[in-house]
Amino acid sequence: MKKVLYIVSLSFGIGILFFSILGFTNMVFTPIYFEVPKHFPKPVYDFSKNPLTEEKFQLGRTLFYDPILSRDNTISCASCHLQASAFTHVDHDLSHGIDGRIGTRNSLTLQNLAWSKDFMWDGGINHLDVQAITPITHQLEMDETLPNVIKKLQESPKYNALFTQAFGDKKVTSERLLKSFSQFLVQLVTANSKYDKVIRKEETYTSQEQNGYTLFQNNCASCHTEPLFTSDVFETNGLPVDAYLKDGGRIKITTLKKDSLLFKVPTLRNIQFSFPYMHDGRFKTLNEVVLFYNTNPDAQKALLKKNKKRMQLTDNERVDLITFLKTLSDKEFLFNPRYSFPRE
Amino acid sequence: MHQTNNEKKRENQKDQNLNMFKNFGTPLLIVLLFCLHSTAQTTTIPIRFKLKFNSNDVVKGQNFISKNNDTLSIETFKCYLSNFKLEYTDKSISEIKNHYYLLDSDSLKSFRIELPKKENKTISKITFAIGIDSITNTSGVQNGALDPINGMYWAWQSGYINFKIEGKSSSCKTRLNKFHFHIGGYLYPNYALRIIEIPIHKSQNPTKTLDLTIDLATFFNEIHLEENNSIMIPGKDAMKLADMSLKLFTVE
Repeated sequence: MKKVLYIVSLSFGIGILFFSILGFTNMVFTPIYFEVPKHFPKPVYDFSKNPLTEEKFQLGRTLFYDPILSRDNTISCASCHLQASAFTHVDHDLSHGIDGRIGTRNSLTLQNLAWSKDFMWDGGINHLDVQAITPITHQLEMDETLPNVIKKLQESPKYNALFTQAFGDKKVTSERLLKSFSQFLVQLVTANSKYDKVIRKEETYTSQEQNGYTLFQNNCASCHTEPLFTSDVFETNGLPVDAYLKDGGRIKITTLKKDSLLFKVPTLRNIQFSFPYMHDGRFKTLNEVVLFYNTNPDAQKALLKKNKKRMQLTDNERVDLITFLKTLSDKEFLFNPRYSFPRE
Repeated sequence: MHQTNNEKKRENQKDQNLNMFKNFGTPLLIVLLFCLHSTAQTTTIPIRFKLKFNSNDVVKGQNFISKNNDTLSIETFKCYLSNFKLEYTDKSISEIKNHYYLLDSDSLKSFRIELPKKENKTISKITFAIGIDSITNTSGVQNGALDPINGMYWAWQSGYINFKIEGKSSSCKTRLNKFHFHIGGYLYPNYALRIIEIPIHKSQNPTKTLDLTIDLATFFNEIHLEENNSIMIPGKDAMKLADMSLKLFTVE
């Protein structure tokens, strides 16, 4: 009995202490529970190192849409990552940066990043928390320095308030800045396409979609693995090298010959809206992509390493496959106001 | 039957006591051990690093001449040191893991660090790593010496620069005659971390401070600046220079 009394009074004391501290500092953080869709694997991102809160998410979201990150305050993350196209640069084969400078690759979509172990077409970035350093400092993208971004944010009354809400004080550090980006980025989860609804038995495919799904499973799924529609590894796809870009892909990072012309398998989620396609954006339509895999000898060779049978789709089957790919579109994700430009 | 029940009760009681100990005892024990550890046996020893070119102190902008007749001056020397370990004559060791020091030629203060040392023991060897291990390289954003703001983090790909030497030489046919060596890499086969082991002779044995010399001449004597003046990516060239860094440090 004594013990119980002791514990009760102790916890009461701690409670009072806790709330009085809260009261004085006005620090109230709203934790967010990261919901893993039932048919998804375990996320790669370690949430214990960056526990999600609403305040940090909102800070990350505001930063994502703010051109203050670039040298001349003209380019934001959203410049090349627009929500309506699954957070990529729609209709540009190579992404633009500051002063109209043109990059060397087609910007990737930002979806389900909590399940990715490395980032960029060549996987050069090994952790989501350090990803944002690259576009901020790249001379073809934002051409800014990390110390200067921190200085600009530290001098901004708006960010003083946002950092205080998120962290309890207004100090801007690279760790706080970068982890706030991750807070926003990991929450860009798309799992509500027709495909997902069929998996959850809420909807059913049309016969054309069903046929396309079977074709997909036989010809594409070995790399574009369900349910994320990427195996998250590097593969060759037989694309001839662009004579101007001469992009060797993964070899740039590892310097290993075996990694020459290997690129990260991109997710096919919302593929309908994230054109143009491939690392250099050379194909404008899904039909071109499917035709390439269906006819190019090098692409066929690359696919045969993964699949039992050669990909030989008839015209009708190609249409069916693309019809299935459109079931990966998630309108709720593409138009979710929670991910959009934060209006004050 | 009755007995066994009683026994069980006693067992439970024991378990509870044990749990109480686990809850409160362990932190207490750690604190106690820590107090004992820090007061009774361990003291600290300052390590002072001296940046030299042969026997001369390196002063920004001052010219030096290498064995290969390159006239050069040093603008920046930055270097990560980690995983320090002191070995004593009785083969015992003290080490500090997961602690990273950034030596920066622009900050005199950074050239002096303190290491924990066991009292009344004679140091026979000092071991440390030049650079950052691969696990730390893949652990996301960090602060302190490892803050990417320190200019020792690559941006085009993830990873720390283990050491950085920049300066000018008339031998370099580059913009403003500059040379840049940014040496790093955490992926096999270009893992550029190097472990330095320096035996300490009885006669050198430090009591108050341990002075280590970083002689940049050992580095530039092996390089022809006309041909080799810019390495800023991991790879074979970086690995060669990382190997050279093994000779950089000597005990005074």
